[in-house]
Amino acid sequence: MAKEKTEQKEVSQEYWAYVKRQFKKNKRALYSAYFVGFMAFIAIFADFLANEKPIVCKFQGKTYFPIIKSYGVSFGVTRWADELKNLNWKDAKYDWVVRPLIPYSPTTMDLFNAQYTSPTEEQDIPSLRWKHWLGTEKLGRDILSCLIHGTRIAFTVGIFSMLIASFLGITLGALAGYFGDNRMKISWASMIMLMIGIIIGWFEAFSARSYALSDGFEASSFKGFLQFFFSIIIFVSIVFLSLMIGKLLKLIPFLRKQISVPLDIIVQRLIEVLLSIPRMFLLIALVAVVKPSINMVTLIIGFTYWTEIARFIRAELLRIRSLEYVEAAEALGFSSWRILFKHAIPNALSPVLITIAFGIASAVLVEATLSFLGVGVPAEMLTWGKLLSEARTAPSAWWLAIFPGFAIFITVTLFNLIGEGLTDALDPRQKK
Amino acid sequence: MFQYIIKRVLIFIPTLLVISLLTFMLSVSVPGDPVELMISGGNSDNGQSANKIANEQAYIEKRTQLGLDLPVFYFSLGSKATSDTLYRIPKKMHKKNLARLCYNYGNWSNVERYYALCRQLELDCLNVPADSANVESRISIKDNLFKLFINADKGVIDTSMANIEKGILSAPSLNVLQPKFKELKDAFVKLEQEKNLVNRFIPDFKWYGFNNQYHRWITKFIKGDFGISYQDGRPVKSVLWDAIQWTLMLSIFSLILTYLLSIPLGINSARYRGTTKDQVITTILFILYSLPSFWIATMLIMFFGGGDYFNFFPGFGVGDVTPHTPFFEKLGIRAEHLFLPMICYTYGSLAFISRQMRAATINSLSQDYVRTARAKGLNEKVVVWKHAFRNSLLPIITLFANIFPLAISGSIVLEQIFSIPGMGKIAIEAIYRRNYPIIFSVVMFSAILTLVGNLVSDILYAVVDPRISYSSKKN
Repeated sequence: MAKEKTEQKEVSQEYWAYVKRQFKKNKRALYSAYFVGFMAFIAIFADFLANEKPIVCKFQGKTYFPIIKSYGVSFGVTRWADELKNLNWKDAKYDWVVRPLIPYSPTTMDLFNAQYTSPTEEQDIPSLRWKHWLGTEKLGRDILSCLIHGTRIAFTVGIFSMLIASFLGITLGALAGYFGDNRMKISWASMIMLMIGIIIGWFEAFSARSYALSDGFEASSFKGFLQFFFSIIIFVSIVFLSLMIGKLLKLIPFLRKQISVPLDIIVQRLIEVLLSIPRMFLLIALVAVVKPSINMVTLIIGFTYWTEIARFIRAELLRIRSLEYVEAAEALGFSSWRILFKHAIPNALSPVLITIAFGIASAVLVEATLSFLGVGVPAEMLTWGKLLSEARTAPSAWWLAIFPGFAIFITVTLFNLIGEGLTDALDPRQKK
Repeated sequence: MFQYIIKRVLIFIPTLLVISLLTFMLSVSVPGDPVELMISGGNSDNGQSANKIANEQAYIEKRTQLGLDLPVFYFSLGSKATSDTLYRIPKKMHKKNLARLCYNYGNWSNVERYYALCRQLELDCLNVPADSANVESRISIKDNLFKLFINADKGVIDTSMANIEKGILSAPSLNVLQPKFKELKDAFVKLEQEKNLVNRFIPDFKWYGFNNQYHRWITKFIKGDFGISYQDGRPVKSVLWDAIQWTLMLSIFSLILTYLLSIPLGINSARYRGTTKDQVITTILFILYSLPSFWIATMLIMFFGGGDYFNFFPGFGVGDVTPHTPFFEKLGIRAEHLFLPMICYTYGSLAFISRQMRAATINSLSQDYVRTARAKGLNEKVVVWKHAFRNSLLPIITLFANIFPLAISGSIVLEQIFSIPGMGKIAIEAIYRRNYPIIFSVVMFSAILTLVGNLVSDILYAVVDPRISYSSKKN
């Protein structure tokens, strides 16, 4: 048994090593992947790259690490010392100080260089160290700093929304593809109790707790997700409970009759519904319902972009379910769920990688579009799209139009190139 | 084939039904009160008593006229704490607050009494003649009552109550309000005493019957009556008709342009696959494909459209023409205005379709019949254009069907940037202004056209490729 497992592992490792080799052959895709890694680095360490707070400083005889400290403060672990609380980090007199590469936060307003200072014009700055390399916008905020922090927003939205989308897409697509319209059999008793369970569970978990949920999200996203987690637990336990009752009801003969659930039709209709509404319109309408917040934008993008992934997985599983090893597993008497999750889905995952790569590109684009239109993203948050939209009010500030747009373009292109590279690497026709 | 079409059309029905439900739910849950926006731009809470009553009367009339006083849907699944008659309360803000109070205290009849007393006190307060001694207290009472209408937080309610009491006591002419206020205070105390939180978790199913907003809208929609735009009172039909002309014009022209350019481009780059020529074309197309259209639009406007750089084209709008403008002058004005948008509309799809065309041509050039044609000694041009070309058109044809939905929904972002009064712009404005009838109609039409477009593309597939057949589908 143990030997079998290692063998299986070796085979799958071989497959991924093969994919990796193929991917590396495509130089464009490879360098794009490296560059994405570099941008991810910028996104993660944005606070250390562009910040008005120093990295290390000695202030009134004491040494501080203000950026690291600010993480602690935002998590509620520590508090600012009194003399630092209202300190103007930019102009304070330090004994000595190590500042980040860009000594401006995206919120820092440089009043001397407000009203759209061009990067090529002379700037009112003490030394070159303080130069606004990409200019400023109306309130004197540094464009480069905003771009660096915008990277973080773009990457978070792109990656997390695709995580949500792949979870939904893989689950629904796999169910539709594997069970089709008539392979999922369920007794009347379970069916009825499942319906009742879902309705009551939804009511108790989400409808009756709607205020608890919205209060939670208003307080902080952590508390909100905690409440949401509670709701999920309540929902799952109610559904589980009603399924147990359903098991009891099977004692009644006419409720024991089996019916097949047309999973494929249901999922296909769902996809059709989502694809029939113009996507941008659906997104804007959804965003208009909720309060502006970047988490909500991520969630909404995730909930509307799973269709492509589901279609891929469905097609893949339609193929896989007629393969010998699935039949063998069925003959061995494994349950369908085990075959689905342990054997079928892992073998269908590789094409999903392609859709995820392209999906991140479009999620980044959608986030930028939404902020460009000024919907969904909080007003004080400076994203790439919002910077670009500021260019519309300042027709002479070319740097406001070029740099943020270029950042969006580069990100989208890189992920598209990676997607293309993956398509080639995973294409079975290229196997030799 | 015919059977297949019938089957597909029948499947449309549940899909459309779900879409209509989804749209309806979405637009109802968009915050904001359309009636309030229509009547007074959102502020009808000021003014004298008579004025206020008149305002409220107008509000209620408008609401009834629009059918917004009806229950939203056939049924509702609420908790025992809320009321099944809550929908009758005018003003979305008050409704929201009452729902919250119900949740907090779990007892609708007490909440209702509390709310009624608040309103009575407000009217009574407005009826007290204003004089120099009570003017400040009156304003204070009014403000605090306003807070009561929109706050369910106990702390806020308590301070507001205390402030009202202070206001009543401060001017002798306001003392007439004392008994009413006492009643209100008692009602609130009673509300707190009879707090029953268990009610929150007892589900309560209510059936409202067919006289509801959704039913009214969907039956009218099926009959072809799309309603009246809230914003300007024009029929939705004519609003949409005006808008769709712009969108259609732009999409058709850009489509023709796209196909004219991309088919030769794609074929040529496939023919010279692997050469520098192909690489250059492919790279440029790839870059075009990844360029965000709103970025290009912004830059085009900034650098060529009346900014501080080159002022070649008007930056936005479609130009003013009167019916008497000569045709060619009109054409000139329009062309000048629509030049930049046209570029933005075209380049993205150009890149996309060229890439598709290239892939399809490469595919068909590697087929056996092409090899046969070459082996026969046919000229390369004949091989490409007579043998490969028609087969590589297949995927392009299906893309053609996608113009239906695009034509109706337009390009939301581009129309917004260039201020073209097309479908996309209308749709977004409708969301911002809670213009429900327009939202419904745009979504329903684009959904119908998407479905039809998909069906048409499937049929086209079968028409161009005899190997594909839908008539005998086996599982």
